[in-house]
Amino acid sequence: MYDRHFVTPVGNRGMYVLDTSSWRTHRPVMDKATCVNCGICMGYCPVNSVRWSEGGGYYISYDYCKGCGICAAECPRGAISMEREGGEE
Amino acid sequence: MNYLDILKNSPDMVSPGISACQGCGGELVLRRVLQVAGENTIVAVPPGCMAGSGVVGWSHDSGMKIPVHIPLLDNTASFLSGLSHIYRRSGREDVNIVAIAGDGASADCGFQSLSGAAERGEHMLYVCYDNEGYMNTGYQRSSTTTEGSRTSTTPLGRRFSGKQQPQKYVPLIMSMHGAAYCATATPANMPDLIRKIQKGLAASKTGFAYLHVFSPCPTGWSFAPDRTIEVARRAVKSNMFPLWERDGDGWTLNYVNERPIPVSEFVEGIGKFSKLSERQLASIQRAADERYAAVSALASIQNRA
Repeated sequence: MYDRHFVTPVGNRGMYVLDTSSWRTHRPVMDKATCVNCGICMGYCPVNSVRWSEGGGYYISYDYCKGCGICAAECPRGAISMEREGGEE
Repeated sequence: MNYLDILKNSPDMVSPGISACQGCGGELVLRRVLQVAGENTIVAVPPGCMAGSGVVGWSHDSGMKIPVHIPLLDNTASFLSGLSHIYRRSGREDVNIVAIAGDGASADCGFQSLSGAAERGEHMLYVCYDNEGYMNTGYQRSSTTTEGSRTSTTPLGRRFSGKQQPQKYVPLIMSMHGAAYCATATPANMPDLIRKIQKGLAASKTGFAYLHVFSPCPTGWSFAPDRTIEVARRAVKSNMFPLWERDGDGWTLNYVNERPIPVSEFVEGIGKFSKLSERQLASIQRAADERYAAVSALASIQNRA
């Protein structure tokens, strides 16, 4: 897909993608029993890590989530909690 | 259409992993604007946080799925004027010409070209994400920095503490250019932001559209990344950043604030305001009150006509 040549060199090697998931110290975990699928978390996620799927409603994709915690802070139902990465010691 | 349906059906145009800080308001604005604009769009991102975070490309890689260019800090609007003309002459009015610029590239260095393009009515949507400073180079002050803020060029000290000058209220200056559309928005009021992006894109086909988006900066302002939306919400509720728009019909106040919270509630918990003096706080409060009164008065003129 990226083998074509551009006028400028920028872009001819592909997409600049940083692994921002490694920044995370806490991960948001969604409790689907409390979640009412209002979608507020999706609107506010700066990284677009809250996604929608037609059968399962909203879910969090951890591929690029930076763990900022906005979704957990803004959820009106308190359905998202921030849990420490790596589990309990 | 509900704003959530729009977001669900609009693919992200930016690289999924860019190096904007955790909880960055600018990244949120960037992604939402380009989601609504879609793939038939050409973007200019001048030097600033968003360009520095990699959306304009890094080395030989591109940071977006659509054409993106990094103009100089001061010529974004001029650059897009030329681009807009060539696309119009080739009969491609359907292409969205969009700028995503910080406050430094809009209100300070780039103000001359921005003001010129707005006055000439060039066809583009110019989005300014206002994080109140030159954040990507280390939090230096800009003209839109709030009075009393701690930045690296206005440190807290005994002789003077924080920025000494009041904030320049750019959106009202821009609205006086007689552009086709001019509005303020914050990420906290997401449906309002999405609607204004749509309206701005529509107006950019006939004239100049300007969108000034308040975008809190957790790193530069020193607050926890999960409070970005809360800070933006309090800015609206304290009248620090009233929500309004101006189109062909005149001014409209989008958030009628009947019981504003005091500015002291807005500055609470933000590190850059940690040593505000009584005098500085009173001055910020006065600026906020004046701002809201001015916009309400302008909106009432429209209703009377």
